[in-house]
Amino acid sequence: MMTVAATRPAAVATSEAEQPRRRSVTRRLLAAELRLLTRDPLTLTFVLAFPIVSMLIIGGSFGTEPDEVFPVNPSHWYVASYFTVVIGATGLIMLPVHIATYRERGVLRRFAASGFPRWSFSLAELAMGLGAIAIAGPLLLAVAAPVYGLPDVEDPARVAAGIVVASVAFISIGVLLGTLLPSARAAQAVGLMLFFPSFLLGVGGPPPAVMSEPLREISERLPLALANDAIREPWLGIGNGTGPLLATFAIAVVATTLAARRTAL
Amino acid sequence: MTITDLHPFEPVDPVVTVRGLTKSYGGRTVVDRLDLEVQAGEVLGLIGANGAGKTTTVECLQGLRRPDAGEIRVLGLDPFHDADRLRPQIGSQLQSSGLPDRLRVAEAVTLFAGPQATDTGALLEQFGLAGKRRSPYAGLSGGERQRLFLVLALLNRARLVILDELTQGLDPAARREVWSAVAQLRDAGTTVLLVTHELDEAEALCERVVAMSDGQVLDQGTPAELVARHAREVVVRFALADALDGRGGRSGDRHETHGTADALQALNRLPGVAGVTRDRGQVAVRGDRTAIAHVGAWLVGTGRSIPADLRVDVPDLESALLTLLDSTPGRAA
Repeated sequence: MMTVAATRPAAVATSEAEQPRRRSVTRRLLAAELRLLTRDPLTLTFVLAFPIVSMLIIGGSFGTEPDEVFPVNPSHWYVASYFTVVIGATGLIMLPVHIATYRERGVLRRFAASGFPRWSFSLAELAMGLGAIAIAGPLLLAVAAPVYGLPDVEDPARVAAGIVVASVAFISIGVLLGTLLPSARAAQAVGLMLFFPSFLLGVGGPPPAVMSEPLREISERLPLALANDAIREPWLGIGNGTGPLLATFAIAVVATTLAARRTAL
Repeated sequence: MTITDLHPFEPVDPVVTVRGLTKSYGGRTVVDRLDLEVQAGEVLGLIGANGAGKTTTVECLQGLRRPDAGEIRVLGLDPFHDADRLRPQIGSQLQSSGLPDRLRVAEAVTLFAGPQATDTGALLEQFGLAGKRRSPYAGLSGGERQRLFLVLALLNRARLVILDELTQGLDPAARREVWSAVAQLRDAGTTVLLVTHELDEAEALCERVVAMSDGQVLDQGTPAELVARHAREVVVRFALADALDGRGGRSGDRHETHGTADALQALNRLPGVAGVTRDRGQVAVRGDRTAIAHVGAWLVGTGRSIPADLRVDVPDLESALLTLLDSTPGRAA
């Protein structure tokens, strides 16, 4: 039986008995979001399992010798490419569905009404997206290493810049989509529609050399393909990735600005 | 320790002051020049039909929506411009708001517990959720979810608790549980703004109610005052033959018909009775509250048996609101 009146003073008197740790709202929110991330089957499937399984299949499909289609070891080509698949899955599937679900169920309203700082949710989502990539990316490489070997990183600074900029860009796109789409189902549908063509044409599908000219033209302009080039070119030493990096940076600036405004509580 | 010890702030009275609040969506005025006051320590009910503007009003009070016009002060602060200072002082259960499905009860409490938080273990115990700490939100029943929302609303020793359609969708037992918790909040002196279209809930819990329609206040007062002003008529109903004939005669019987006519005239002359009607073997005696006693006394005094199906319909807040809505020009219930 509930006895609020009778026991509230007692509750204060014994407040040392069970006090939650007093961390900032943003840190509490981030901790909760990271915990929830590990319980989300969509995240576990699309961000962790799907890139690894796909990489293992396609990475072994074209041998290990460079040829007129692949300028480097095809397995290494795909290992480097699939790091971007992790980023794309985080931004285009995980975050839109996650945030649209929150909006649909009034979780964001509850955060706002409870006095959470205006930017706490934006920061938590950015940190959660980076956390997902920081776990899934290295896991992908750890699985690839004994099977195909890891390609040498030719220009670590540019690769790191590419990963950071691409991650911020796609996390922001994902957050933005989540705030724009009306429901979790819509977010899932739109996310999958954006992810799979980008994935197949621009990152993890057939190499550009075997594509028809129109298809190649399209694939080179896809945001995920630009992010991939910003990471893969300096990684494999097949270019410096400056153009794609700048284009991805521009996407990141625009998407982050819009996403931050949309997620302010 | 008293309830004021739980609130380490200067007292503010009234807790809520609204003057001329106006809010429109796409050209449709949802709240129209609304004036409202909530005094410290009272449980105020905002009642009205769906679409009356109740939820928009409380969303404006919390700074979740920007008013088009008017002035709002909540705990002495402007809800929109002082949102960061105000919101931690308000505990709220918003209509159509939830928690992440996989968030566990204990994690939700940790997430929402601010620097002023009270003993979370004791609160969970008080609201019957101590055994559900590890249960995910999706695994809670409707009543458990609402009780969790109450825990979250009270967690940070809120000075004002806003409860919007708290018991919507709950079964009767769960409703009673939640009512009990709100009643104890009231008894503890917490200021509560209860938004509901469940009028039995408002009648049971609120010291004062504000009836709204089309974004405007129609009337306000204690539930009893609203009933007295807008729904005075009581109706006493019972079966015709048993009570009036006193012999259980068949309908159409000459003796019964004659006796019935006399009895109906006698009932009509009783103090407090405004009218008597017959409908398919049933008598309905309408009048004010004194009529209940006079009809009972007449039945006993004339040697008639008390009808087994005797029923007294006493006006309640629902009938008062319906009358109020029907009698307001341009409005309908």
